[in-house]
Amino acid sequence: MSKLRFSVWLIPAVFALVLAACAPAAAPTAVPPATSAPAPTTAVQPTAAPSGAANTLVYAADISDMISLDPAVSYEFSGDLLVHQAYETLVKFEGADLSTIKPGLASKWDIQDAGDHWELTFTLRDGAKFASGNPVTADDVVYSFQRVLSLNKSPAFLFSDIAQMKPDSIRAVDPKTVVISLPKTASPQGFLAILTFTVGSVVDSKEVKAHVTNNDFGSAWLLDHSAGSGPYVIDHWQKEVEVLLKANPNAATKPAISNVLVKHVPDANNQQSGLEKGDFDIARNLSPEQIAAIKGKPGIATATGDSLLLIYVGMNVTVKPLDNPDVREALRMAVDYNGIINSLLSGNAKKVQAIIPSGLAGFNPDTPFQQNIDAAKQLLAKAGQDKGFTLELLIPTGQAPGGAAWADIAAKLQADFAKINVTLNIKQTTQAELLGSYRAQKGQLVLILWGPDFPDPDANVGPFTDYAAKSIAYRNAWDDKTIAQKARDAALITDPAKRAAAYQDITNYVLHNGPYIILYQPVENFGLRSNVKGFVWSSIGWTDFWTISK
Amino acid sequence: MSILAFFSRRFVGVLAVMIGVSIITFAISHLVPADPVVAALGDHARDDQIAAFRAEYGLDKPLVDQYIIYVRGLLQGNLGISIRTRRPVIDDLRDFFPATLELSLAALLVSILFGIPAGVVSSLARNRWPDNLVRVFSLLGGSLPIFWLGLILIGIFYTQLGWLPGGGRIDQFIDPPRTITGLYVVDSLLTGNWLALQSSVLHLILPAFTLGYYSTAVISRMMRSSMLEVLNQDYMRTARAKGLRERAVVVRHGLRNALIPTMTIVGVTFGSLLSGAVLTETIFSWPGLGRYATASAINLDFPAVMGVTLLAAIVYTFANLVVDLGYHLLDPRIQNG
Repeated sequence: MSKLRFSVWLIPAVFALVLAACAPAAAPTAVPPATSAPAPTTAVQPTAAPSGAANTLVYAADISDMISLDPAVSYEFSGDLLVHQAYETLVKFEGADLSTIKPGLASKWDIQDAGDHWELTFTLRDGAKFASGNPVTADDVVYSFQRVLSLNKSPAFLFSDIAQMKPDSIRAVDPKTVVISLPKTASPQGFLAILTFTVGSVVDSKEVKAHVTNNDFGSAWLLDHSAGSGPYVIDHWQKEVEVLLKANPNAATKPAISNVLVKHVPDANNQQSGLEKGDFDIARNLSPEQIAAIKGKPGIATATGDSLLLIYVGMNVTVKPLDNPDVREALRMAVDYNGIINSLLSGNAKKVQAIIPSGLAGFNPDTPFQQNIDAAKQLLAKAGQDKGFTLELLIPTGQAPGGAAWADIAAKLQADFAKINVTLNIKQTTQAELLGSYRAQKGQLVLILWGPDFPDPDANVGPFTDYAAKSIAYRNAWDDKTIAQKARDAALITDPAKRAAAYQDITNYVLHNGPYIILYQPVENFGLRSNVKGFVWSSIGWTDFWTISK
Repeated sequence: MSILAFFSRRFVGVLAVMIGVSIITFAISHLVPADPVVAALGDHARDDQIAAFRAEYGLDKPLVDQYIIYVRGLLQGNLGISIRTRRPVIDDLRDFFPATLELSLAALLVSILFGIPAGVVSSLARNRWPDNLVRVFSLLGGSLPIFWLGLILIGIFYTQLGWLPGGGRIDQFIDPPRTITGLYVVDSLLTGNWLALQSSVLHLILPAFTLGYYSTAVISRMMRSSMLEVLNQDYMRTARAKGLRERAVVVRHGLRNALIPTMTIVGVTFGSLLSGAVLTETIFSWPGLGRYATASAINLDFPAVMGVTLLAAIVYTFANLVVDLGYHLLDPRIQNG
């Protein structure tokens, strides 16, 4: 064989080698360090949604944030959306209402002041079954919560830090009764709100224990499987492509549509065209312009939902003249909030100015600020700053929730502040770089967002007021011990009405004394096929797929 | 030079490139002023969580130690754990590379099948209407932004006419073929799954044209100019004078010689197709490496960025190797080495 012939044969041979190296599952995988990432699983051959479009709801969204579908690991919006469909929690919020806690797997519960600690007793609902057919028992609840603490992944801090729960804080009294003890410094109402979240999901301990490898509590298996009692089971997750949910035959709640296909469609234009063609039933990430464009088209409907995000400017009170409360109040008065919401965001936001977002208990609807240049100038004169000053505004890159670029919102603030002789130098960096400066108290003004870790007012009021929590108040160097103590006290109140009153008092104080300019609370937009009924968005960041029909 | 010596030299070259690429990428990743741990853990993470995460990923060690640990892992085939996806980088690459490779190969096929004939026709019909048409086409190819072209193609062929699917690798209600190579078209052929074959080929058409249009334009321009140069050579006149038919003159003497410079462009193009697939992958919901690379870079996920860069270096070197062998095929006078 000539040299040339030989070399030509080598081309496909080498090529085949490269391909073989890339083929999933075939090659051995690198062993990860023991404490990191779930162990690699063998690639599962995905199967398409059965029997076509009629009994399948197709939900198109950018789900690139998803890391795991294990309820003890997932702490990303897309992962939580899916975990929520496959698992039940002891207590829950229903639909879009985040102020009333309802029974879930627990038919009733009771909070007792046991002297040096709180004691919460949960009685499980009769007849509850997991997808495997196993009955839901108190042991499953104990296993699930201890599993969260032992794995210690992203959402574990809700149990270990916020609720201050330890593995021995939870015990099964009998097959139907679970008792959880919390220290007096933890908020029982806050804990109930945490339990409504995906971290509170109850897993089928028998099923999970059967899939444990390397002491991982079954986490590698739960990465793309489910073991819950929710209306759906996770059929498969093909990364960057789709997740398919199928109805759980043993669930107490029977879904109206038996299959849900969550498709990864990163480009919003593609979501729009797929919706218009009828390939998708719901499109998650349409911009306000796209929503305006599809409105009124045949076969298309739109829906909105709240989010719990607040877009705000943090003011570092160690930076002069921001140490003066009058200057901070003047800056709040100089902003044209209505202009931002109506013009920049085309109305895709709510005017909210206190530190608890609309939708959570304790929400303060008071909006005392709208641009008033004369009043702002008077306050600056009172503070001896009428000649003006210059500040740096840190902003992230990309789009802000609500549909405007961060840079456009910053430019609007720059124009507004210029009217009171305050010059803004805008510095745009990646969010990671911005957070690095902000966390180190190195920002002067920082334009950024905040969303609560769990659906309870304490998840906002704590970070915004308590310097010692080393969160938002710390980043802005605002150390007000009185308000921080009031916030800690309010968190512990068990009576919902008294607690709401306490939060009203705190939020009113922060409105005028805190180092924040709360700009708005964004609204979420969805495109739907007009035959889709029963779609309700919860501001936690999910919808109940089982209530949707078409 | 023997073929063995040729490959040994190339292998040493690849190693040198890999070491260079790994040092440069590692250094650049760590020069970025932002903290990858803050990027991964986000706004709400506490200082002790950040410290624990830093220790878990070895980010608390001096930079040189980190590099040595990385290279030691590399030698054992361990590319580290992605900070963003929390999975081994090698698993991520294995999941996403085949999709990008399939798309890039299809785009390359489009650019060769259309670019070379267009260049030849254009040179033969110099300054007449076919030439002008090809030149306008090339000019557009060089200047149209990929995302715009992708959206227009989707708008026409998916939304309006409904002839072709608008995104994804296969229809959502069709099972993908059993995984052998990870390339759906190849796997459907190998497993005789005709339904999957039809669907995956249809799904490839729009993204392959979108991604391949720019390189089609480049290749056709290159082909045109090298054909024009060859057509004026003395040996072409000699071939005609010998009484050879025009077709034989053009194909056997002209095209073969003009293909040599075009081969270089094709090699470089393949590398750029792989790395340029980001926008196409986003527009067409194509689950490939381009989107993975971008998301990793934005999140300062340097183990993933390093993994992608090293893979790209291998692919580039491999593409160049194929081009070198191609030279040999076209012109045996060229010595490999």
